[in-house]
Amino acid sequence: MADHEIAADVTGTVWKIVRQAGEAVAEGEAIMILESMKMEIPIEAPAAGRLAELRVAEGDPVAEGDIVCVVTA
Amino acid sequence: MAADDDTAELRARELQDREARARAMGGAAKLARRREAGLLNAEERVERLVDPGSFVESGLLAVSSAPGADRESTPRDGKLTGFGRVDGRPVAVVSNDFTVKGASSSQTNMKKIGHVKRVATERGFPIVFFGESSGARMPDNMGARGMGTQLGNDPQQYVRERESPWASAVLGQCYGSSAWYTCLSDFAVMRKGATMAVASPLLASAAIGQTVEPEELGGWKLHSEVTGLIDRVAETDEEAIDLIRRFLSYLPAHRNEAPPRAEPPGVVGDEAAAAIRKTLPESRRQVYDMRKMVEAIVDPGSFFEMKPAFGRAAVTGLARMDGQTVGIVANNPRHKAGAMDVPACEKCTRFLVMCDSFNIPLLLFVDTPGFVIGVEGERMKAPGKIMNFMTALQMCTVPKLSVIMRKSYGQAYLNMGGGRNSDEVIAWPGAEISFMDPAYAVEVVTWGRDVDEAERERLRADMARDSTVWGLAEIFAAQAVIAPEDTRAHLIRMLEVHQTGLTGGIGRHRMAGWPTTY
Repeated sequence: MADHEIAADVTGTVWKIVRQAGEAVAEGEAIMILESMKMEIPIEAPAAGRLAELRVAEGDPVAEGDIVCVVTA
Repeated sequence: MAADDDTAELRARELQDREARARAMGGAAKLARRREAGLLNAEERVERLVDPGSFVESGLLAVSSAPGADRESTPRDGKLTGFGRVDGRPVAVVSNDFTVKGASSSQTNMKKIGHVKRVATERGFPIVFFGESSGARMPDNMGARGMGTQLGNDPQQYVRERESPWASAVLGQCYGSSAWYTCLSDFAVMRKGATMAVASPLLASAAIGQTVEPEELGGWKLHSEVTGLIDRVAETDEEAIDLIRRFLSYLPAHRNEAPPRAEPPGVVGDEAAAAIRKTLPESRRQVYDMRKMVEAIVDPGSFFEMKPAFGRAAVTGLARMDGQTVGIVANNPRHKAGAMDVPACEKCTRFLVMCDSFNIPLLLFVDTPGFVIGVEGERMKAPGKIMNFMTALQMCTVPKLSVIMRKSYGQAYLNMGGGRNSDEVIAWPGAEISFMDPAYAVEVVTWGRDVDEAERERLRADMARDSTVWGLAEIFAAQAVIAPEDTRAHLIRMLEVHQTGLTGGIGRHRMAGWPTTY
């Protein structure tokens, strides 16, 4: 079991939370969608596992490099 | 020994003895430890690279020339050099033998590298470096006499004029010359577990008191994701060497010939067209992975991506179109919506310089909302990086074909070949072209004025309508608007039109002496 801290790769805002903390996630599945430059940019699970932690809510601003969630795989 | 005993037979035996000693490298124990660790030795790496039976070694009997040095302990002086063939084409090889004094650089082995470099450059074929060395040999290089004798005696040692391609594999700890040659190369692959840095963790600890693990100082993640000094990562020595073979298959032997043509794949049919339709989202707000688009357009299985984990808002790589080598420069909406940041600019610049230097036509696939803006980019000299990229594009003399697939905004429109920055601008029907996204443009033009929401929406709709591809086609700023599924066939035809027949496919190489790191 390893924790994957997932960082935003772009500065923007959290547009939609797709998965909630505690839920199972598949590799490549969208956990949330950021909005930046009028585009919807998904944050995806790097591996199959469980969404251990959500660190942002819809509408929150995020900067590139901010950890937005943690997946335990 | 009597004079009569000095026979040809004895001389032949001495030759055999010396050859055997050289081929024993650093001894059975050290070689066995490498085998146990799953590492190839210097000879095995060469064998993996070249066509069987094609290698001729240069300097097998060379040893250290340092006063008082034990000649017996420096077989080949720690670096194996010579000439072979890869897929029937000539190549020079430098393979560091870490089992001999850590393959450290000394007077004799630097002469060996200088020789094969000079031959490859003057006769016109690639050089491959297998990096694994500890840096300058100690104590040979110590003191004023050591420095004066050993270093700096070749004024061309670190000059890259890109006469022929260079490829490097980082296959162990690389400090000193192995790191330098890697950075000077057109292609660099790194095996996981290897390290490349200016100096070792030991020296970092001794000199500045910094305690750092080799992986953190110069491991594969750092160089593939952060510095971009590495083009690809491999799990094993064998995989790394195979990647070099593949890289070389796209390149000409030297800058005065066109790249080799592979067998065309024949008809690439509906499957590729369907992949394009499936990849392109309906909504202009949704992202997709440009690499899927690239793979659907080029010859099946031919896409060889460079720096996939670095500057990911851009995609660069070699590929083939109907057997012809091409260079792909593309935006990737999957990362940062395709808005290029400083690493993406550096990646594009370096790739453009390489393609232009070796007569590789360029295909630019465009889907970008512009360059990344904001504090972080400015701190990293974004304007300068954007101009490096732009200058490189304008100085290219190889054919450049640009395909606007969706968004093309602002200065990025020019950097991605818009206007006369490519030989042909081709657009898809859904393309949108403007100085900035209408949503932001409304904010700019209404700044400081009291404008109601309805008026804003009217302005936005007008701007969006004016950004469609039809305006570009009407004023001949696009030479063709085509259905996405016709892209492959159209590009193959336009590559034929733009083949540089006047020079036999050879460009002017105006950036041949540009740096190798930006």
